[in-house]
Amino acid sequence: MSNMLLEAKEVHTYYGASHILHGIDFSIREGEGIALMGRNGMGKSTLIKSMLGIVRPRHGRVLVRGDDYSRARTFQTAQQGIAYVPEGRGIFKSLTVRENLLMSARAGIDGRREWTFERVMETFPRLGERINNGGWQLSGGEQQMLTIGRALMTNPDLLILDEATEGLAPLIAMEIWRIVKEIRRTGIATVIVDKNHGAVTSICDRAMILVKGQVVFDGTSDEIRAQPELIQKHLGV
Amino acid sequence: MTIKSLDIIHDEHRALAAMLSGLRSIASGIEAGRLKPDYDLLESMIEYIDKVPEKVHHPKEDQYLFAKLRQRCAEALPVIERLETEHRQGDARMATLRDALASYRQQGDAGFQGYHEALKTYIEQEWKHMNTEEREVFPLAKAHLTAEDWAEIDAAFLSNQNPWEGAAGEYRALFSKIVNIAPAPVGLGG
Repeated sequence: MSNMLLEAKEVHTYYGASHILHGIDFSIREGEGIALMGRNGMGKSTLIKSMLGIVRPRHGRVLVRGDDYSRARTFQTAQQGIAYVPEGRGIFKSLTVRENLLMSARAGIDGRREWTFERVMETFPRLGERINNGGWQLSGGEQQMLTIGRALMTNPDLLILDEATEGLAPLIAMEIWRIVKEIRRTGIATVIVDKNHGAVTSICDRAMILVKGQVVFDGTSDEIRAQPELIQKHLGV
Repeated sequence: MTIKSLDIIHDEHRALAAMLSGLRSIASGIEAGRLKPDYDLLESMIEYIDKVPEKVHHPKEDQYLFAKLRQRCAEALPVIERLETEHRQGDARMATLRDALASYRQQGDAGFQGYHEALKTYIEQEWKHMNTEEREVFPLAKAHLTAEDWAEIDAAFLSNQNPWEGAAGEYRALFSKIVNIAPAPVGLGG
């Protein structure tokens, strides 16, 4: 079995007095793909942020490659080969496409440099056409591609995509899923938060459903696809 | 029980729905005066629908899923026959859409209404067709086909798991080209 990359153990997270995550256990191994699903406000993004140190859990532990990162700063977790594509994209709008990509370029944790500027250009040819455009000049789909490209420039072992296709037209969303599928084939572990359960379960091996800050399903993608009543009940589709 | 072939059909329906949605949005944009017609783009989108759903997806349904369900469930015969007829009519429906686009290209603005009507008809037929499969045929298939039947159908579908890409990636390239040139917000083009 491959090595464990990232784990949450009994994580409780609060926003002020609001108890958001109620003792969540989560784990992802090298090369694995997990679809993290649930309706709005169920704690998906909070779980991601809790594991990355963006939000500090009040109880529980976060482990990266088996080491305790519960009190680590976000950049320290990121330096362990974990790349994050946040909801809302978060590109640097005053920088060009080239600058957005080059600023994040670094070798992977084992010194590997598989994802070069040239390879990102091959994966996202559209970015090549916009290379000297400012971030503010890009469409939503182009910004999303740039954010994924920027994450790949860090040569990650784990890529976390939070609502990668939100607000995008179906054709662009399909293209992004196709590219994410290609990225998955290179062996990068992936956590995907998205409402499109059909697309994410066709890309990922495992699926988790969160309801009110608790895990109500954790199994294979095949298992969840075989239970449409569960999808209906917890995702409302 | 997990049924891979139905998952694959769902995925393929989603890809077709994305292309249809793109064609509809572009036509609405042209009608509202927000977009200028890019005939080559529209031709590429129609070519994609012709090459992939019509030529790859439908025959696979006929050959494996419908054929097996015919043997197992008499109740399904009327709906299967209707869907198979629609599959056989696919070439003619595509030709109607292609002809409407050719007239639009030739006549310019004067040909838009004819193209738009043909497109709306095509999209409506496709949606109805997919809905019939998913809401009527899939439940019957799940109820009447045996585990051995599904193993056989799944094996056939899995041997051709990603027909949308084509043997040499040609359909993938066509899809990406469409996404890259379709005007925002439908695609990434300018």
